[in-house]
Amino acid sequence: MRPLGIRATTLVVLVYLGAVLAVLQGFVGSELPITFGASLISHLAGMAAGYGAAIMLILMSRSPWLERDLGAHRLARWHAWTGPLVILLSVLHAVAAVVAWAKASSNHLVAAMRDVLNLPGLLTATVGTVILVLIGFSSLRMVRRHFSYERWHFLHLLTYLAVGFGFAHQLAGPDLAGRRWLQIAWALLYTYAFALVLRWRVVQPLFQLWRHRLRVEQVRQEAPDVMSVLMSGQHLDELRAEPGQFFRWRFLTQETWRSAYPFSLSAPPTRNLLRITIKARGDGTRRLFAIPRGTLVFAEGPYGALTRRRRRRPRVLLIAGGVGITPMRTLFEEIGLPGKDVTLVYRASKEQDLVLKHELDEIAERSGARVVYLVGPSSDARNDMSAHALNRIVGDLSDHDVYLCGSPRLASRVRDSLMDSGFPRHHLHEERFTF
Amino acid sequence: MSDAALDYGRRIPRIARLSVAVSPSLIRWTLRLVTVLLFGAATALGVNVGMNAPEISPTSVVQQDGVATPDL
Repeated sequence: MRPLGIRATTLVVLVYLGAVLAVLQGFVGSELPITFGASLISHLAGMAAGYGAAIMLILMSRSPWLERDLGAHRLARWHAWTGPLVILLSVLHAVAAVVAWAKASSNHLVAAMRDVLNLPGLLTATVGTVILVLIGFSSLRMVRRHFSYERWHFLHLLTYLAVGFGFAHQLAGPDLAGRRWLQIAWALLYTYAFALVLRWRVVQPLFQLWRHRLRVEQVRQEAPDVMSVLMSGQHLDELRAEPGQFFRWRFLTQETWRSAYPFSLSAPPTRNLLRITIKARGDGTRRLFAIPRGTLVFAEGPYGALTRRRRRRPRVLLIAGGVGITPMRTLFEEIGLPGKDVTLVYRASKEQDLVLKHELDEIAERSGARVVYLVGPSSDARNDMSAHALNRIVGDLSDHDVYLCGSPRLASRVRDSLMDSGFPRHHLHEERFTF
Repeated sequence: MSDAALDYGRRIPRIARLSVAVSPSLIRWTLRLVTVLLFGAATALGVNVGMNAPEISPTSVVQQDGVATPDL
């Protein structure tokens, strides 16, 4: 993964500084003398959870500044650990608050909980916390697999509601109440977070829908369970989409409009055409195979920094697994290097799983680049994808940038092997998508 | 593909064709203006909400009523 730039580092420092200030305010808001107990825990956890919830919204606002400077993968990774952290802190805050109340009022926990819920703004905040807990529960790996992506995604969107429910309580909490400037700063943190979400997750896609009028032009089968969707539109060059990037696509039919799917462009974008290639992973993606011609497409993007601009070394090794070939296919054609300096290693378990093979062969023939297919079981020594094997394929990995896109298992195997061999992390570029 | 694109162009309603005439630079500036207005509204809303936020926490109200002093 590439190191953070100056702007991104500044942003990260500011976020941490904000977290420290929010937690310190939890101490300031506590009554003197400060003693460690349920009350203090409630103050600290509450402030940290409130701050974390706003940061979580900002991270997932799809702002191009964040996507460009931090990368979609890093943002998703941070979201993956700030999300559970915010939920845990919210629950800790609620439990500690009830315990502190029970202790202060010399009452039992159930009566204390009833008292707390009767306070202004506390019922909605509790509903918000319950929603967050449900979202967190649905995201656990063992539970997640029982949900379709569409249901899980819809449930995830309730985060906005949950965060909104907690806002009034935060502003009226003892750590902020009566401290006018802090209340204004806190309110601005939230209104800016929601403004970012509105700007980039609603206004921008709506604008793109109007400006580009993207519609499905053709759906074509590429392999069993793999389809390419060709879309036509206007002024698509204004999107400034680059090979290797992806969009979040929402196909506006009655069955599919609820879900946005992240798919990479599988052909270099032109002024009026975009193409993606999809593998059926569940009922939702399978439904996309039946999209009629002319369907309007709501596209958010382009996102992702897996582009040729990342390249720093004179040669490139592209590694793809399965349908992970899509961004690699575009980079293979448009990486901007002489063919002899470009190698594509494409791994699939069966010959028929090699997607877009005829296009890859054609590009290789035209440019003089090399494409190596590794087909069959991974136990076969010929399909070894260790750093040692890759080094053997390209001659010398030390003058290569490596671009990687494949299944989580394949990606982690290749990444671990490269890192173990001492390959510099910032010369490995990858994009990981999670459904 | 060009035939299909032309055919597609014919199917675009007249109101949609307006977008063809708008210059990219005008579009960019309009979007910038939208961003500025959106964040201006967010600033006004944030300041307003912050200014009108409660001065006393509900727990303090309870405290004044002498029911409990839990300091939450």
